[in-house]
Amino acid sequence: MIEGKTSRLYPAFIALGILVSVLTAAAYYRDEFRDWKDYQRLFIREELRRAATPQQRQLAKGIPVQIRQIVLPDLRRVDRCTTCHLAVEDPTYGGFPQPLAYHPLHEQHPFDKFGCTVCHRGQGRATTTVDAHGHVAHWDQPMLPLKFIQASCGQCHEAADNPAAPELARGEQVFETSGCRGCHKLGGVGGVIGPELDRVGGRRSAEWLMSHFRSPASVTPDSAMPPQKFSEPELQAITLFMLSQTGESITGFYASMKVVPSATQGRRLFQQKGCIGCHSVNGKGGSIGPALDDVGLRRKPEWIMQHFRDPQSVTPGSVMPRFGFNESEVLALTEFVLHLRDQNMALNLPSLMSPVERGKEIFRKYGCAGCHGQEGKGGVPNPNAKTGEQVPALVHVADGYTRDELMKVISNGRRQIDAMDPKRPQPPLYMPAWGSTIEPAEIADLASYLFSLKPKGDDLGF
Amino acid sequence: MIPLPPDTTTSRRNFLQLSCGWVVAAFAAAASSAAAVRYLVPNVLYEPNLRFKAGRPDDFPDGSVTFLEDERVFIVRQGNTYRCLSAVCTHLGCTVGRAEQGFHCPCHGSSFDDMGKVKGGPAPRGLDWFMVTLSKDRHLLVDKSERVESDKYLVL
Amino acid sequence: MSFPSPKQAWNWFERTRVGRSVFRVGLPKSNLERAQAMVSSFLLHVQPAKVSRRALRPSTTLGLGLISLYLLFILTGTGILLMFYYVPATDRAYDAMKDLQFVVSAGLVIRNMHRWAAHLMVMFVMLHLCRVFYTGAYKRPREFNWLIGIALFLLTLGLSFTGYLLPWDQLAFWAITVGANIAAYAPVVGPKLKFLLLGGNTVGQEALIRFYTLHVIVLPALTAFMVSIHLWRVRKDGGLARPDESLDQTVNLKLDELPTNKSYGLMELTRLTSPQVGKDPEDEIFSWPHLVFREILLFLLVTAVVLFLAVFWNAPLEELANAVHPPNPAKAPWYFLGLQELVSYSAFWGGVVAPAILVTALVLLPYLDRRKEGVGRWFAPERRTANTVFTLFLIIAIVLTVIGSVFRGPNWGWVKPWAQPPAATEGH
Repeated sequence: MIEGKTSRLYPAFIALGILVSVLTAAAYYRDEFRDWKDYQRLFIREELRRAATPQQRQLAKGIPVQIRQIVLPDLRRVDRCTTCHLAVEDPTYGGFPQPLAYHPLHEQHPFDKFGCTVCHRGQGRATTTVDAHGHVAHWDQPMLPLKFIQASCGQCHEAADNPAAPELARGEQVFETSGCRGCHKLGGVGGVIGPELDRVGGRRSAEWLMSHFRSPASVTPDSAMPPQKFSEPELQAITLFMLSQTGESITGFYASMKVVPSATQGRRLFQQKGCIGCHSVNGKGGSIGPALDDVGLRRKPEWIMQHFRDPQSVTPGSVMPRFGFNESEVLALTEFVLHLRDQNMALNLPSLMSPVERGKEIFRKYGCAGCHGQEGKGGVPNPNAKTGEQVPALVHVADGYTRDELMKVISNGRRQIDAMDPKRPQPPLYMPAWGSTIEPAEIADLASYLFSLKPKGDDLGF
Repeated sequence: MIPLPPDTTTSRRNFLQLSCGWVVAAFAAAASSAAAVRYLVPNVLYEPNLRFKAGRPDDFPDGSVTFLEDERVFIVRQGNTYRCLSAVCTHLGCTVGRAEQGFHCPCHGSSFDDMGKVKGGPAPRGLDWFMVTLSKDRHLLVDKSERVESDKYLVL
Repeated sequence: MSFPSPKQAWNWFERTRVGRSVFRVGLPKSNLERAQAMVSSFLLHVQPAKVSRRALRPSTTLGLGLISLYLLFILTGTGILLMFYYVPATDRAYDAMKDLQFVVSAGLVIRNMHRWAAHLMVMFVMLHLCRVFYTGAYKRPREFNWLIGIALFLLTLGLSFTGYLLPWDQLAFWAITVGANIAAYAPVVGPKLKFLLLGGNTVGQEALIRFYTLHVIVLPALTAFMVSIHLWRVRKDGGLARPDESLDQTVNLKLDELPTNKSYGLMELTRLTSPQVGKDPEDEIFSWPHLVFREILLFLLVTAVVLFLAVFWNAPLEELANAVHPPNPAKAPWYFLGLQELVSYSAFWGGVVAPAILVTALVLLPYLDRRKEGVGRWFAPERRTANTVFTLFLIIAIVLTVIGSVFRGPNWGWVKPWAQPPAATEGH
């Protein structure tokens, strides 16, 4: 009878019931026994071990085992790193093995306001080691190797501003002097042959970037970019600078604290506010106010700061207006004025420079060296180009072009580059039309500079 | 219902197996339900943290009563002792302000003395004091989840 | 005092006043009670008091419809749980998925269960459709139930598709973008349909909330309603299709000719569309406990399989949806890949005409096929033509889907899935 047949299924019933129970238990097991709980218990044991008084023992015993998180709505993230990294604020854990080590240098960027991932990257929402450190599929921002950590400073701060991030400043300097802007736009300024770099730091890893600098074709087939001749330190620095270009938008509280009151920022303000209209530096500028060259020797820093805040309060009858600087700006300007004698603090004010000096600055600003070589000396490969398979040097343009012709070439560019061998691919590098980017007055100065490149007494009589 | 005599018989083995099966199935159902309930209990909260850092001890001058707007507390320093007083009126929850002596609530006129005790008005009890400790990196650490008596304070 | 057995404890309870108020029929101990248990129960009365031996055999239907139903239950249960944490906002959805994975107890397993049950349900609904076809169980009088079934199939696809977008990762975003674009190819109404579906021209916040609403209440409510009618019609159309069905006849009996040995003959109504008095169902077996037990067993099996998959394999979660970085290629969910392959040949013929013909053919099938032969038997020889044609279309559909999933790579070009992928250049 059928009853017999049904009872044959009873063992299967038991087996399936056991299977479902076991699987439910397995799922629960995965949740209960987590790495972070082990680390927390380790921490509690260590705290108990260190407890000297009963009150401290009480405190240590009361430490709950739970997920800890820092919620940062303005940075649009949640960081759960402190679930395992429990002792980051405790100096007595300096040198302790990870994850319980102390994190120094957090005074300026307290964890409860900044979290961790904004500097270290990684996946803040994760609670397992591998996922949190971000070296997993489908997570774009793995943790930054510590040697590149200064790249994160560049997300908020100006690269050259920050005395605590010298590598970043160095990286920016390498970028500006190597002429990368000739082909790549950064911050809206630059050429169009290569892609814009504003987000490159968020999309590419350090390894990729370094390989790319050494040999672009190895990571980007059909790349027009010539291999770069950087020394090891320069390579590290410019990679770091590239990593800092993440394109993250910094808002609110974080934007207001962006500026580090450094001498570089002070110089920027000095240029913006037109101080040179009344004061002179190095004999150049206005004479309504005193020359500023030795102000650092004559006045105390506190006096200078107060003078920026309110000139009349320290110099009654002064005609210097109150500019309404905030404290950060006051600090920056004071720093600048005290370092006026510094070599690196050249004012770079266009109104004070000769056309050739201005042209040289424009040559640097738009990255012409990237294709035409440092000081227009050439040497940058352009495969299959008729001009000796290189981008032409500019040293002798004065002989080949009139001023107007030169300005026209710069403005209109030269899209078609004659090939040496028509059977081989077109030369990858060409001259962009800079007329849409560089002002006519700037092009005129650039021409003056380029004409000045011709070595003296080198009349080839063409 | 008149119970009729059963007209089928089951063997002992079948009965045991079936019972066993049902016990296991019940256990599986219970385990799944327990998992579902545990699932619904939140492990993290997105609410503002009740424990926060108020600042460095030296940020608060001697004899000062400093109002922290975001956290709705007063930090009271006398000599080397630090206390934290709630600025939430115990009547209906408005934020009290400093008065000549003590504190005063603008909503319904409750007034409190320097130690938070009710002086007048509809407030049913004094203002709460919160636990203040020193964090490992030497900041004042306030714990709004732990109320203490006014005689418990941080001494540095 | 020795402990009472569960059965004894239950027997005591069901005789108390509370017990009797809840359970109108206690645990059945006689055949009368067994029949009553089915007929007077709210949940069980959709099934008959007695079923044939044939109905109990797994090979009859392979239980595919039941499996689909159980998957729907699992999806509903896990879906409701997921709703406690998921937020259908473009700036919160992805974070909610990460939270489920990392901080919610059992969050990962429950999400996995939901995902795998969803894929399984689409597959089993398709298998169920094939079974009904191959056993000719769509023929008269079951035509309307077949239509309900087609509607349920489309609802299942709709549920899967709307749910697919909710994680708001790259996989979700681009699959739905592709799907919506395929829908837009329909003549006249296509673009308007896409606009209505997305609540705009692009896949954004409006699309997300529409898909969410469809996914959690509109489509489930419709599905529940249709499932109820579907099960009701199975009963009213005479139960599972049988080979000897056409031999059934209604019998008109005078009341004094009723057999007297059974007082509950009225409850043995199983055949055709109205009560049969006086028929002798000696070859039939009580649903309680035999059918019900097998159904419970099947539910345990389905749960075990879904749980097994969920514990060992994680549902995918790619990067946050990014409208600026389409993956290459962007692929629709697997059940639409065949369609996407067709669309790659011709948007109109492949994306509009072919599926329209398919659905129309399925809808008209029971009304066009008037032959009575071959009902209730697998691959009946009398139906060779029909079976062959159907199998042909099935194979084509499978081949197209396989091509779309493993043989198509960047720019929808051909790739050899066994070949090494090119050295990955990072960046997206």
